Amino acid sequence: MHHIDLLSLREQFNQNQILLCFNGAISRSLIEEIGNALKNYLHEDQAKPSAAMDVFGVYIELTQNIRHYAQSRGYSEIESAATVVVAKDQDNRYQVLAGNLVERADGQALCDRVTTMATMDKAELKAAYKAQLRRPRDADQHSGAGLGLLDVARKTSQPLVSKLIETGDDKAFFSLLAVI
Amino acid sequence: MTMNSLNIEGSRSTPQILCNADTGVISMRGDAYPENSFEFFHGLIDWVAQYLVETTHPLVLELYLIYMNTSSVKAMMDIFDMLEDAHRQGREVAVHWYYDPENERVVELAEEFREDLTFPFTISSVDE
Repeated sequence: MHHIDLLSLREQFNQNQILLCFNGAISRSLIEEIGNALKNYLHEDQAKPSAAMDVFGVYIELTQNIRHYAQSRGYSEIESAATVVVAKDQDNRYQVLAGNLVERADGQALCDRVTTMATMDKAELKAAYKAQLRRPRDADQHSGAGLGLLDVARKTSQPLVSKLIETGDDKAFFSLLAVI
Repeated sequence: MTMNSLNIEGSRSTPQILCNADTGVISMRGDAYPENSFEFFHGLIDWVAQYLVETTHPLVLELYLIYMNTSSVKAMMDIFDMLEDAHRQGREVAVHWYYDPENERVVELAEEFREDLTFPFTISSVDE
């Protein structure tokens, strides 16, 4: 019989200062429930209200992006699964990591956008955010993630880091790291 | 035709919204991060549009909003644009946004909206 090594899992959680983690199909209400737990954790962790709101905001945008994307692609429940981690790094900054399955080409386009955003300073990100806000809804429908990603980039203390790992069948696992 | 008031109960991810047709005051309170913001704000957007067309009274928004996701920001911008158009046509409109002084993010959110608008828009601490 195969046993999951709970102790090593626990040690990994502790080592990486993981406050919260989720893996699986994510519903609208689950996003809210986990979000609420996150708010409580941040409160107990004595995060400043502004930092807590940034972490919460990044979590909401990233998980809602994943939901919208999976819906727009008509993914099954298994394909729609999200992997989300909120942790603290060595400098006690909050990290939000979110990953999901995407079409390989979509993932590449997302990575390209993240790379472009990494070259932009806060003023440029704000200008791009405002321009995107003014764009008609339909134009944003296809890529979806535009406004949310810019919002996340504006809340982070260092550029977003994206990663794309091919999983076969023209699909890939896209993941994003936001440090607040 | 007379305007009806519109009351939307709040939830964890959606603000409480009270639109009073008699006083011309809309109040919104809480967080706004529904998954489908366009759907959620639809009723409010329709109410504002109808109020601006069917009456000539002033319209005032009293906001106690805290966190808004980007799609709610977009919906809110649509409402502010309607107010801006009405203002340019001589209508009396105003927004008063109240924030908890502990959380400066709310001020930044409100200020970013205000940058693009010319009608009276105040941002003040709930303590004041």
